[in-house]
Amino acid sequence: MSDDTVVSHRRDPIQSSVGSVAANRRRQQAVTIAKERREALVRTKRLCRVGTSGDGNGDGDGDMMIDEERSILEAQTSSAVEELKSAVAYQGKGVMQKRVNALRELRRILSRSEFPPVEAALKAGAVPLLVQCLSFGSPDEQLLEAAWCLTNIAAGKPEETKSLLPALPLLIAHLGEKSSLPVAEQCAWALGNVAGEGEELRNVLLSQGALLPLARMMLPNKGSTVRTAAWALSNLIKGPSPKAATELIKIDGVLDAVLQHLRKADEELATEIAWVIVYLSALSNTATNILVQSDLLQLLVERLATSNSLQLLIPVLRTLGNLVAGETQATPVVLVAGNEIAGNDFSDNVISALIKCLKSEHRVLKKESAWVLSNMAAGSVELKRLIFSSEAIPVLLQLLSTAPIDIKKEVAYVLGNLSVTSTEGREKPNLILDNLVSLVGRGCLPGFIDLVKSVDTEAARLGLQFIELVLRGMPNGEGPKLVRREDGIDAMERFQFHENGELRNMANGLVDKDLNIKSSS
Amino acid sequence: MEVETEKSILEFPYWTAFKRRFCADSSFFASGNLERELLAKQVALDITEDEKHQIQNMEQEENREVFCPIVGCGARLKSLEVFEDHYHARHTASCSVCSRVYPTSRLLSIHVSEAHDSFFQAKVARGHAMYECLVEGCGSKLKAYKSRQQHLVDKHNFPTSFEFFKKARPSKKQRQKNQRKQAAHKGEESSNAMDVEVIDSLVSGVSKLSTSDSPSSISFGHRNTRGFAFVPRSVHR
Repeated sequence: MSDDTVVSHRRDPIQSSVGSVAANRRRQQAVTIAKERREALVRTKRLCRVGTSGDGNGDGDGDMMIDEERSILEAQTSSAVEELKSAVAYQGKGVMQKRVNALRELRRILSRSEFPPVEAALKAGAVPLLVQCLSFGSPDEQLLEAAWCLTNIAAGKPEETKSLLPALPLLIAHLGEKSSLPVAEQCAWALGNVAGEGEELRNVLLSQGALLPLARMMLPNKGSTVRTAAWALSNLIKGPSPKAATELIKIDGVLDAVLQHLRKADEELATEIAWVIVYLSALSNTATNILVQSDLLQLLVERLATSNSLQLLIPVLRTLGNLVAGETQATPVVLVAGNEIAGNDFSDNVISALIKCLKSEHRVLKKESAWVLSNMAAGSVELKRLIFSSEAIPVLLQLLSTAPIDIKKEVAYVLGNLSVTSTEGREKPNLILDNLVSLVGRGCLPGFIDLVKSVDTEAARLGLQFIELVLRGMPNGEGPKLVRREDGIDAMERFQFHENGELRNMANGLVDKDLNIKSSS
Repeated sequence: MEVETEKSILEFPYWTAFKRRFCADSSFFASGNLERELLAKQVALDITEDEKHQIQNMEQEENREVFCPIVGCGARLKSLEVFEDHYHARHTASCSVCSRVYPTSRLLSIHVSEAHDSFFQAKVARGHAMYECLVEGCGSKLKAYKSRQQHLVDKHNFPTSFEFFKKARPSKKQRQKNQRKQAAHKGEESSNAMDVEVIDSLVSGVSKLSTSDSPSSISFGHRNTRGFAFVPRSVHR
């Protein structure tokens, strides 16, 4: 694993060798940091801003503090900043230690709880001092502590995050490849907090050139630095402008790094990378085009099929969904796959992975996987066939009767899309009778009629549209009978005086049609 | 609120199968984004005393925290593994001519120019200001090694005993010879007489622009032929 960095070779090439034999020996000797230990450290360090359940910390959340405790803390903060001020101004003996100590004290105060006394720190003038502590040539420990303080200040309210503006260029500079990893990581963390604040700050960071050094930190490397960098990067490119995403994918090595991490990394890192990919695919057409030509899809499907981490599955599924939704002839995702024998395997894998998500207990996974299936069901005849013959149908039917409304709607889309041929919306689509008959035979009609009764406009619309298919398409005039049997007329008549004109017309039209047909049976 | 379109009066909106696409910030994705939003900002917390103990108990000997032994660096690293990363990144730029090691590539570059480049010496001889200030970003250039030295002391609070270029240790015979020579030419360097610093006093003086609290003799650059022969230990501050 080489950390060799390329420096402008003005003269002799630079060797970087430190007795590799000795180093290897140490590597063998050194016990890999126990994953639990790492996780313990990282977990503690990364508690969310919005409080999670208490972590056993004595001081607890700021909210819960009584006024008296709060004002003591604020007083401590002010005096810590004062101490730092004199340490920065000091020129005499032991100045480095003095500065580090003052910084450390402030950092401790800012790290004790999930709601650090940021306001007090700002009022006392912490930021300009911290900026001074970031100056070039400062020792690593000083840089680290200063960046840590800034990180937690930036994790506060919007105005508080904005207060970091003077520090940004320095924080960006210390991302450089010659900085020690912990320093670079802490700066990335601070910048991630700033970028997470909002579009305005994001744009500032981008104009100051934060993208490139952060992207470099994501290249395959050891340690938690990559993860922090990926997280910060995801905050930086999340838009809404596609510019950053487009720029990112063009950076040398980024695509490969992203794919490699998605392929091999542990779930935590893969999660951050997956979110980067979400934004790349959602915002930038350039990026999407590049991504679909790589083996990203296989990697996504693999992760989807094998992982059980909700945090990872969400962005992976989202990316897949975005890619399928944005699919065109030019950028085939599953389209092409449904046409060839070899390709069917891939589609099968996709469908299996999606079924796994449908069966999950997590609402988001159920909803978004159904959404992806609905888009696939709007694809080729082959794809429809594959979905129809898979295990998906029973699961979908189950969800149609029992799931919450937002999931029901997605399921409805799948089933309805399976029942008609896919046109580009120009012509009236034809029914795929076999599918329709099969679905109705398996008892999907009550679920659709329920949708009609829903207060959700979209749901009602879907229900009515499906009923129309049934009335039109079921052989032997069975349609009206079936609809009536499930109290469909009743459901539709609710719209007679409905305020929504479209729904009213739809429902009335169907009822009329039904009554007409009825008279002939 | 009536929303009537002609179409809906005339014709039923039949079910059509088409792909539905949503913007990144669509409400469709709201619940999926929710947990992500909570992580938009993260506080870096201290670990409690208890957790510290837990972690220490889980650790083995090799995973104890180490302090970088490079005087003037003193970085605190979580483990030997991390220390190695640190060292590789920060302290290994070695000269291919004389094997001296420098903590940054920039300083290595300066060394190479000043010690091994005759073109450089030629320009110096003609009176050009070629000796760069060692502090990155300063940009000052001085005409002589000594004046650059002075600049560092005056402007950047380097200790007066600071030596950017320390000579290598010669053989015993050479040493005796030099001792006589040194008495005559105090402080003058010649690129032939080399002193090798004992590895234990590796320095990176430039990264620590401090005053008199620095070790009394800081030298810069040393011959690293043996690699990691020392064991990491605390920095004496």
